[in-house]
Amino acid sequence: MSDLTLKSIRKSYGAVEVIKGIDLEIAHGEFVVFVGPSGCGKSTLLRMIAGLEEITAGSLHIGNVLCNDVEPRDRGIAMVFQSYALYPHMTVYDNVGFGLKLAKAPKDGRDKKIRDAARILQMEHLLDRKPSQLSGGQRQRVAIGRAIVRQPEVFLFDEPLSNLDAALRVDMRMELSKLHQELGATMIYVTHDQVEAMTLADKIVVLNGGEVQQAGAPIELYQHPANLFVAGFIGSPKMNFLPVTVKGIEGDTIVVQADEIDDLRVSIPGATARPGDAMTLGIRPHALRTGADGPIKGTVDLVERLGNETIVNFRLGGGTQWLAVLDGDMPLHRGQTVGFTAPEGEPVLFDRDGRNIAIANPQAEKAA
Amino acid sequence: MTLVRRYGLTVAALIGAGFVFVVPFLFIVLTAVKDRTQAAQLDFTWPTSFPLWENFWTVISTRDFMLITAYINSTILTVGSITLLVILAAMVGYVRQRRKAWWNGLVDFLVLAGLMMPPAVVPTIWLLQQLGLFATLHGMIFIEVAYNISFCIILYRAFVATIPREMDEAAIIDGARPMDIFFRVILPMLKPVTITVIVVQSVAIFNDFVNPLYYLPGNDNVTVQLTLYNFQSQFNTSYNLLFMNILLVTIPPLIVFLFFNRQIVAGMTSGAVKG
Ligand SMILES: Nc1ncnc2c1ncn2[C@@H]1O[C@H](COP(=O)(O)OP(=O)(O)O)[C@@H](O)[C@H]1O
Ligand SMILES: [Mg+2]
Repeated sequence: MSDLTLKSIRKSYGAVEVIKGIDLEIAHGEFVVFVGPSGCGKSTLLRMIAGLEEITAGSLHIGNVLCNDVEPRDRGIAMVFQSYALYPHMTVYDNVGFGLKLAKAPKDGRDKKIRDAARILQMEHLLDRKPSQLSGGQRQRVAIGRAIVRQPEVFLFDEPLSNLDAALRVDMRMELSKLHQELGATMIYVTHDQVEAMTLADKIVVLNGGEVQQAGAPIELYQHPANLFVAGFIGSPKMNFLPVTVKGIEGDTIVVQADEIDDLRVSIPGATARPGDAMTLGIRPHALRTGADGPIKGTVDLVERLGNETIVNFRLGGGTQWLAVLDGDMPLHRGQTVGFTAPEGEPVLFDRDGRNIAIANPQAEKAA
Repeated sequence: MTLVRRYGLTVAALIGAGFVFVVPFLFIVLTAVKDRTQAAQLDFTWPTSFPLWENFWTVISTRDFMLITAYINSTILTVGSITLLVILAAMVGYVRQRRKAWWNGLVDFLVLAGLMMPPAVVPTIWLLQQLGLFATLHGMIFIEVAYNISFCIILYRAFVATIPREMDEAAIIDGARPMDIFFRVILPMLKPVTITVIVVQSVAIFNDFVNPLYYLPGNDNVTVQLTLYNFQSQFNTSYNLLFMNILLVTIPPLIVFLFFNRQIVAGMTSGAVKG
């Protein structure tokens, strides 16, 4: 079956290195999402897997075959492009069947495959139309149909939903999920939208600057971000950060402080820290609670009362902007000074290099 | 008053344009149906007699039905040249736009040179003679292709630039080899330019007078424009037959133009490919 293995894959355009050594294992049937900010090299990496870009260094195995120099058509892959790239002069039927025609598949088998794909995507009524007569969502289906009909081991998607409007995007997201379960093929999906990544993925690969920041299950990444970048990128709204110094250590509990907050106790079993270390404190907005004598004191800038939750924008003493998402309705108002606490297990600490100190020690990761 | 102000300029322009374009054509038609004596006066009068059929038949049958031979030759010349032009220019335009290579600058220079340098007749004839292509129809086809290909390449290249590269890549993923990509995906998408090239170039080549005169001597090789000499000589010109001949030679391109008018305009103005 088709596992994918990437070993120190690199890509340079002239002197500029865009992908800086990526190692990755993708199991058969996995739904993997590459996520990262624009320009981090997601598309480039995907296109190298597809065979549309040459691999500068490293090795790519699909199944057990070294695929660095294998033609795209022989890699057992299919790709869905952001702009759909449907052939405008062909009907939907011919668009979907083009690959089969090129492979000189017999006419009957071809027809059956095309109609099967159309049925899976519920677009049988569109087969006679030209792409210009379709809506965005329908074009998207055709593009996916063109991929399905090739019966690939690996599907590649490059931001396939970014041209759709918000409501349709949510629908298509669910359909893609269903399709993955139905077909059982490996899917690699590129997006810059972390919500899409969280909802679709079995495994998320967070990329930045051409390097893998962290790879793992969505919840894993949310609960145990490996570094500052992943912590800031995964999760909505964004995690709050503040530079702090370690004041003392009491067993598994680290006490940190800063000018802007009082002593805060953070429980990180097995982490190694020494008093005086400079660190970055991270707390998710959802982890904060109000408490009159809480160590975090802020002045409220903006309150959004949604009924089931209250989103509070507030400023710490030194001017740092933080966000809290509180359960239920909180009648706070602008200018008010509010104290916040966080349960000892919730905050995360990052060392000077931005690494999560709980994960720097593998034992600690298990305990947490 | 306001009517004059609003439409005055338009009407003046229309009358001016009509004068320039329609009057000469009317003159041709009128002269073509006159008898020989009246036509010789070359004036803008109503014909006194209408020997229409007689003029027509004389023009067609002169010199062993030379006009028919000329039609066949011109058609072969036009169709052959256009086919080569479309395929070659589209290929060059496509490759030149898509592939980054160090010799691109050189190719661009040669294309522009082909557009700007005036053709040198005598050396070309010498070369054709050496190649055994002089005074042959296929030699003439090569000449027309060579003279017109630069312009077509530039047209095609500009249009290819508007086709997203993802189209090529989608075809590659679908398993298309380079020739499949070009002939099955790109060339059909170039249809608007192809129609423009076909119409503009076929009119130009069909109506070409000078180049066949230089490169295609011989009665068997005559093209339609050269048949005009049948009725025109230093001492004796039958203007009614000459103009009838002109009329017969002008009509086919005119029909092509009227038929494809809309597509030509679309081809020259549109760039974006609706996907
Ligand atoms: N053909 C190219 N030549 C030079 N640089 C390129 C080329 N294609 C992409 N890049 C650079 O590679 C980086 C990654 O691009 P890409 O993979 O498209 O990013 P994204 O993560 O947004 O998909 C970008 O900084 C881009 O400028
Ligand atoms: Mg991209």
